[in-house]
Amino acid sequence: MLTQIKTWLDERIGIKTIFQEQVLDYRMPKNSNILYTLGFLAVIAFATQVFTGIILMIYYIPHPDHAFRSVQDIMTRVPYGWLFRQMHAVGSNLMIMVAMLHMATVFLMGNYKRPRELTWVGGGLLLILTIVFGLSGYLLPWTQLSYWATTVVTSIPATFPVFGETISQILRGGDHVSETTLSRFFALHISILPPLYLLLLGIHLFFVNRIGISATPFGKVDEEKRPLTEYIRKTHPDGYPYYPRFFQKQMYMMMAFFTVMFFIITFLPTLYFPDEANVPADPFNTPQEIRPAWYLIANYQLLKLIPNKFFGIVLQINLVFIFILWPFLDTQQEKNVMKRPVLRGVFFTLIALWVVLFWWGRA
Amino acid sequence: MKCGGMMKRRRFLTMLLTFLGSITSLSFAYSLLTFLTSLPSKSADLKKLVIHKSDIPSGEAKNIIYHNAPAVIINRPDKGYIAFSRTCTHLGCLVEYSKSKLKFICPCHAGIYDLDGNVVSGPPPKPLTAIPLKIEDETIIIG
Amino acid sequence: MRTIIRYGVLSAWILLMLLPSPGTAGYKKAFEDEFLTKPWAGEQIEENLCISCHASQKMQPEFQEITEAWQASWHAQNRISCEHCHGGDPRDAALGMSRARGFLGTPKGKEVPEFCGKCHIGIMVNYLESGHGKALKAGGKAPNCVVCHGSHNIQKASINIISEQLCTKCHSYERAKIMKVALFVIEKRIAQIEQRLQDLKREGIYTGAEGMSLFSTQAEFRTLFHTVDVNLVRNRTDEFISKLDQIDKNIEDAHQKLSFRKNLSAFFMMAFASMGIIIFLLTKIKDE
Repeated sequence: MLTQIKTWLDERIGIKTIFQEQVLDYRMPKNSNILYTLGFLAVIAFATQVFTGIILMIYYIPHPDHAFRSVQDIMTRVPYGWLFRQMHAVGSNLMIMVAMLHMATVFLMGNYKRPRELTWVGGGLLLILTIVFGLSGYLLPWTQLSYWATTVVTSIPATFPVFGETISQILRGGDHVSETTLSRFFALHISILPPLYLLLLGIHLFFVNRIGISATPFGKVDEEKRPLTEYIRKTHPDGYPYYPRFFQKQMYMMMAFFTVMFFIITFLPTLYFPDEANVPADPFNTPQEIRPAWYLIANYQLLKLIPNKFFGIVLQINLVFIFILWPFLDTQQEKNVMKRPVLRGVFFTLIALWVVLFWWGRA
Repeated sequence: MKCGGMMKRRRFLTMLLTFLGSITSLSFAYSLLTFLTSLPSKSADLKKLVIHKSDIPSGEAKNIIYHNAPAVIINRPDKGYIAFSRTCTHLGCLVEYSKSKLKFICPCHAGIYDLDGNVVSGPPPKPLTAIPLKIEDETIIIG
Repeated sequence: MRTIIRYGVLSAWILLMLLPSPGTAGYKKAFEDEFLTKPWAGEQIEENLCISCHASQKMQPEFQEITEAWQASWHAQNRISCEHCHGGDPRDAALGMSRARGFLGTPKGKEVPEFCGKCHIGIMVNYLESGHGKALKAGGKAPNCVVCHGSHNIQKASINIISEQLCTKCHSYERAKIMKVALFVIEKRIAQIEQRLQDLKREGIYTGAEGMSLFSTQAEFRTLFHTVDVNLVRNRTDEFISKLDQIDKNIEDAHQKLSFRKNLSAFFMMAFASMGIIIFLLTKIKDE
């Protein structure tokens, strides 16, 4: 039966050739390691979010009068609503973590270098989109935590002279976070960001496939010969076939991802839900501690430390630019980070700084 | 050519994998299906509350419990019987009937409702939730 | 040439980023001072002229104390301010304390129950029927609301208001003690249930109906305090206990639900972990 379908499709779209080229004959570099599966994990995480998000949308009501109660109902009255809500909440945090790990490992392995600059740029933009997803989704349950964290974040552009206030107004749809804000964040979260994200993801994956998988600089050296004057797709004739070995690696990493997700849901269900996340939003009552989500705490702390706020924000924007455009700034041929002590030092110092700011901001 | 032991191991592991995979997918499918097809139960206890007219003279109100929540039924001097949930629409405190002022007053933030349940002053955003009632001869059936 | 352009663009960019900063250092100074450290944007602060005048340095110190006392109160936290009790208009400096705007001034001792009873109606009714209330109206010495609850620094009511120090001002503590004992058990139970509901909420089960039921039971129970009638309390204790038992039972059910949830997600976790291990083992089985 299956073979009949395969033949039918093959007669029309040549599916057997596609399968042969992309799966059976596709070769992974000899020295590729488990970290190469992180990109795939990010896609799986995104797919989980889309799936659980659509399910939640069936019962969620995006208006301040009903939002909190609808989420309550999902958690308490709808059968297995709690399961999908927890998956969505935990999944969003895991996705950001996976994306960050993917970014860090690509950086360390120098896989952003020529000719893969655009892949890195696409990836950086995807990370930003993911964080915007997180920010817009944060408001939706309309809890004290949501409301006030959103208030803080939407007021940050106001530091800019001239048009800063206008930007804040547009983000919020007014002077304060209100039902207008909720509506536009909801629209952003479910209808504007997903197609943008999918488009960018498609481009990013196209680049990965078209340019070819890069080999790690560790172990036997595999150099991209310079100068690169014409397009050559990178292949690994001495590598191992994608299927079954690498495919299996992707599969068990996916299992590991879900194991972590359900570990958190089982043993740490309140990890992402402090007390303010269980109380409906009250525009007249500010909680003592307003903090953004964990992935923004380091940035938040840095902003708090720098006395001149405009400079603080400008600094962060510039850091983002540097991060996204890094392949154009670091044009050295050497891919092996073990042979580049300065870069290594800078990278780990930055990570350490991030962690320090994170702990400080949490205290 | 895989040697016999390897083949058996591989077959066993694959079967175990398929088994576990099916259980997991089926459990998810079941939860998803139940999630999608559950219909809200028609108000669990359809117990109707019956009160005698004589229990509530004109201008008086009586506090009752309806569907596990505090409610009040009042005999308005001009317009007759009406029942409301006592939950203030602001933040959930219980409103109290003031006979002298012919209003419902919420002690938490001084919200005031008239005897039709509409907000007269204070922070409540919505009128009191009315509870349907029927009058049959000498009895009032609430619900 | 290319390097000159490169450095030119770089320095222009750095200048552009750095120059406005000192220029905007004083921009919206108040904003800078409060940035990220203060509630803002969303918080809508209403101007209350009563407080502005009575808290100012020009006022007599006794009046200043009043606003401080009120700030610390449960009323203040729920945004009940001067005009809710005293009338008047907090937005009009000239007519703020005029009769035209309903200003009531300070109530005399005997009129305090009606003053507080503007909102706390049920309690006022119970109080006026009680020994204390009757004594007050008869002109004798008796505690009105303010004696036990304070006038401006009013805190959330607790059973500890019934205390030796407060009650022995007029009579022996014996009677008050009996009352306190009678009330104590239920008070403790209510506090326990409140805590259990909080815990449930934290774990993701929202107990709206139980919360309301508890609130109304508590409200009804608390009105009994003001009757100072121990027999009444004792008679109705069973009734309250059974209501609380019902709530406890629902909480038990909720805990069952929570156990089921934990088990189900643990099952999923084990399933995924096992599948991961199996696939990993499969990779170790050498091919060719």
